[in-house]
Amino acid sequence: MKRNQTHKMFLVAFTFAATLIAAQPAAAQDPKQPYPTMAAVDQYLMDRDAEITLARSAAPDAISRNASVIVLTRHGYETAVQGTNGWVCWVGRGWMAMFDHPEFWNPKVRAADCLNPPAARSVLPYAYKRTELILAGRSKLEVIAAMKAAIDKKELPALEQGTVSYMMSKASYLTDSGDHNGPHLMFFQTDKNDATWGANLTNSPVLSVNYWCLSADLYPQLKTFPPMSVFLVVVDKWSDGTVAAMHQE
Amino acid sequence: MRKKKVGAIAIKGFALLVVLGTAYQAITQDATTPYPNMAPIEQYLMGRTAEIALARTAAPESISRDAEVLILGRHGFETGVKGKNGFVCIVERSWTSAPDAEFWNPKVRTPICYNPGAAHSYLPRTIKRTDLVLAGRTKAQTDETIVAAVNTKELPVIETGAMCYMLSKQGYGGDSIKHWPPHLMFYFSQTDPAIWGANLPGSPILASSDASEHLTEFVVAVQRWSDGSENR
Repeated sequence: MKRNQTHKMFLVAFTFAATLIAAQPAAAQDPKQPYPTMAAVDQYLMDRDAEITLARSAAPDAISRNASVIVLTRHGYETAVQGTNGWVCWVGRGWMAMFDHPEFWNPKVRAADCLNPPAARSVLPYAYKRTELILAGRSKLEVIAAMKAAIDKKELPALEQGTVSYMMSKASYLTDSGDHNGPHLMFFQTDKNDATWGANLTNSPVLSVNYWCLSADLYPQLKTFPPMSVFLVVVDKWSDGTVAAMHQE
Repeated sequence: MRKKKVGAIAIKGFALLVVLGTAYQAITQDATTPYPNMAPIEQYLMGRTAEIALARTAAPESISRDAEVLILGRHGFETGVKGKNGFVCIVERSWTSAPDAEFWNPKVRTPICYNPGAAHSYLPRTIKRTDLVLAGRTKAQTDETIVAAVNTKELPVIETGAMCYMLSKQGYGGDSIKHWPPHLMFYFSQTDPAIWGANLPGSPILASSDASEHLTEFVVAVQRWSDGSENR
């Protein structure tokens, strides 16, 4: 049962799969769309120093102390600390979830994340682009169209091999569901087939989701995007070395 | 050589992770060799049914029930059960899964399920190494042959996304660490372990790189055994 709870929590948090969305606790007017529109920009912003600290807490100090750190401003992410090891730590907001995720506009989401060099080079540019468009007031459809155009013009890079990100911060808020957080690693792959890693099967420690959408029903344009899957492996410790409790709902 | 490094690093890492201090002490005292020679082949063999069952415990049943299973015969691994999902489960023996001091330990039984990418590109190394050992080659001869086969591409380059499950509650890792914690392994053609932040203090990822075999192995410990129970 606990395993199922962990699985469920991750599936509804930050990057996740449609079948369990309906099981989320009721919130706001529509339990399936608790955050139908963007909140005021101020609600997504943080104190700069607090954001740097939170970003760095995504990975063990041995990694994050020499990482670059980017912080969110009113117009997008900007470099706050220039690192030396090629890693980049940042705090993702709700709109880094899939376009049809119910918490896309959740202003409480603070997803601390440290990306390794290949992920910083080939995943982070998508986050920059998406964030800039959103903060410029574009609708989801406009954001999708602009990103597709950027992909087609090769303004956004192809996914590199060997990408990994650490999401081991004790202080993240990933979702309204469950314990709101849990330490995990993420691996980005162009492979669309969950079965290649045995993901999402009963008792598998590997979860897999589509980077772009839960389903393409609402935004069929996403079907033409380059495939990107995110494989998640839950780990048992936070970045500070303390043992993580099992997730409860 | 590779396995010794992987074993030592992994054991050290897991010792830190799961407080297997005694295991770490044991592995650091491998100057003596309690198993200097190969034991009679019978000591490495298992009953067919038991070996199939043990191999399948490496991964959740949702994966291993449809996996191919290889079992050890007198001359090498052979098909015990045909699969249909591309995964291949086996029980590795000491010469591919124990550190050098236990290279010939006949008690070692390490269940592993390889995903399709690893089954295509990593498993052939295990099969070839086993064939050579059972044909009477020494460890040094075996290592030399494997390296040559990698260099000539007789053995394939590691495929993107190659990985394996090692989540069995059963098996026997060796005298120095009797039981491995549940973990996943990811295989790459030689890559700098630092690229994943491996082997750094606090990192959940361990890694070893072997230039001679153009191979880097990453290890990520997970919380649960293949049956879904917690590793406590």
